[in-house]
Amino acid sequence: MHGTLVPSALDPSLFIPDLKCRRKDSALAELVACAGRGGVLRHPELALELLAAREALGSTSPGRGVAVPAIRSLAVQHGRVVVARSRRGIEWGAPDELPVHVIALVCSPAECPASQHVETVLRVAAAMKPQRARAKLMEAETFEAIAALLREALP
Amino acid sequence: MSAAAALIRLHDLDLLLAELREVSLAARLRRAGFALGDARDLEAARARRFGELDPRWRHHYERAGRRYGAAVASVRGRVCQGCFMTLPRSASRGDAESVSLCESCGRILYRGRAESEVSESPVTPPPRSASPGPPRSRPS
Repeated sequence: MHGTLVPSALDPSLFIPDLKCRRKDSALAELVACAGRGGVLRHPELALELLAAREALGSTSPGRGVAVPAIRSLAVQHGRVVVARSRRGIEWGAPDELPVHVIALVCSPAECPASQHVETVLRVAAAMKPQRARAKLMEAETFEAIAALLREALP
Repeated sequence: MSAAAALIRLHDLDLLLAELREVSLAARLRRAGFALGDARDLEAARARRFGELDPRWRHHYERAGRRYGAAVASVRGRVCQGCFMTLPRSASRGDAESVSLCESCGRILYRGRAESEVSESPVTPPPRSASPGPPRSRPS
């Protein structure tokens, strides 16, 4: 089902173990490029533009070192989550002003209902909220360990 | 900018604005710590993008948007994702991405490259006066 994010939405090719960039816009560009290479996006440049518009509304980091940017777009071919880590941390304008170390980009196709898209964003954010979960995400050596944690969050 | 790209840019902003206007969704996001500021800039950007749309598509976009909320539906496996009707083979628009009208529901159909089928018709808006009918192909 194209409109639904399922556990298979987590794919090892959609994982960036350690982002080298320091800026939010560069990090988003890397995530989008990764999604483009993975066949998730038809128009990466349009997806990036939409993400920038969303960030202009307010930060997509709820704090605690995580960020969950999200797009629902005709540019998205398949519902997927792109995961990236940054050991150095990236300034994301979070309410607690902490740098972001784990980013999960939620990509939903346009036909995915708004409620379902938002639900996925909230579940992914909630899964990364506990300190233990964040530590696991940062320490995980394989993508499978990360997927195991986030998979539980997907409806 | 291609007709398809202009439609995607406009439609995606409309989807985002629709999320913000759903009070309960916006409230849940705020409660979870996501910042959602003033949407006025977004609405201004939306107005600019609507102005960039080919005038021949604007009428259809507005009409389908008023009727269904989302004016554009993607095509997957020859099925309109708005009304789920199977589209005729004659509606195929070739290997390149294309934009046409769903003759069943009147939504604008966006066909990405992966969903394209055989033919080489260019992206061409229908005439403004046309009611939803079979997608037409005219050289642009």
